[in-house]
Amino acid sequence: MSEHEFHPLVKQLLDGDITLADLPADLRAEGEEALRLLAAVDRSVVSVPAVTWRVMAGLEQRRRRVRPWLLAPALALAAALIVWILPAKPAAPALVTVRFVLAAPDAHEVSLAGTFNRWDSHATPLVRSGPTGVWTATLTLPAGQHQYAFVVDGVRWVPDPGAPAVDDGFGRRNSVLTL
Amino acid sequence: MIATLLVIPLTLLGMQQDSIAARLEGRVSPGIATLVQQLGVAASARGLPVDPLIQKAIEGSAKGVPAERVATAVRWVAMQLDTAAAALREGGVTTDTLVIAAGEFAISAGLSNHDITALARTGASVSSLTVGLRVAGTLSAMGVPSAENIGLISAKLRSGQPTGDLLLVPARVQAEIARGVTPAQAAAGLERAAAAQARHGPPPGRGSPPPHPPAPPHP
Repeated sequence: MSEHEFHPLVKQLLDGDITLADLPADLRAEGEEALRLLAAVDRSVVSVPAVTWRVMAGLEQRRRRVRPWLLAPALALAAALIVWILPAKPAAPALVTVRFVLAAPDAHEVSLAGTFNRWDSHATPLVRSGPTGVWTATLTLPAGQHQYAFVVDGVRWVPDPGAPAVDDGFGRRNSVLTL
Repeated sequence: MIATLLVIPLTLLGMQQDSIAARLEGRVSPGIATLVQQLGVAASARGLPVDPLIQKAIEGSAKGVPAERVATAVRWVAMQLDTAAAALREGGVTTDTLVIAAGEFAISAGLSNHDITALARTGASVSSLTVGLRVAGTLSAMGVPSAENIGLISAKLRSGQPTGDLLLVPARVQAEIARGVTPAQAAAGLERAAAAQARHGPPPGRGSPPPHPPAPPHP
């Protein structure tokens, strides 16, 4: 590869934009040399069938890779996996106000723990109503199924005597509330 | 490009694990957290709800239950979710996490997979079936035998009555029991009434749904 750089006007001559006569006198020699070099280039067609075939096959493969409709299965697969992994977001359920009552005259504190407060025995304390030992709490809960128990004095888990109960899997009973 | 697209759901899978871990953080031991994450991701991959597993793990830890017993209970819930989902599919109901969770509750309350399938075969909508399963589980917890329980809830679901009416069933059974009949007799009586209503239409003044959900179990 030659390091020689032609004058811009000579390049225009090579491009066919101007003729040799259009060049200034001091550039004509350079222009003639450039034309001579260009004329010496062998312009005959070279045919190398095997190479041509491989190149064209490669080009064809490249063209196939960028065909947009071939992305459809991949997109569908990705979408299906996303739907499969992400749980459907249910609509917000209606809210229902519920009053919980427990008669525990000897208790010092009573609270409510269940699925609605992630079984946090400190989250929902009941209030003692007068000297009778009746403890109450009023909650607004989403419609649906809830399981719960009273926690007496922070240690004793007591099912609601006024509600149905199911086995909790730990040898105790959970009360059930269906709203 | 395909690899990039596959990375997206895999990333979401990781996010789901993180979500389970976040919900369990500070509430259960690390060993239980790991178990619930594994079971939760596997359950989610089968279209099952994850929340019952998380709730059971937190419940056990809150009650001070030893870790190995919590693990057993969480595995048991996972099995019941599978059983409920299979029973629903048998009844022609495709997977829906809420109805599967309701089925799991019904099984934990004493109903069988055949009972779940029988309710699924009523052809009720998934939302009605979800409520029906919850109510059936509640009746089972009240001592209503399976035959009368499924008979009553099936009749209610087939009648196409509003969901609010279905939610009143436990209170009605409770009221009948308070009058001195057995839970089975109470449910059988209500089933006959539901069947008659399905044949002749609702009695006067009962044609519209109640404006509010039922009262809680306390006076």
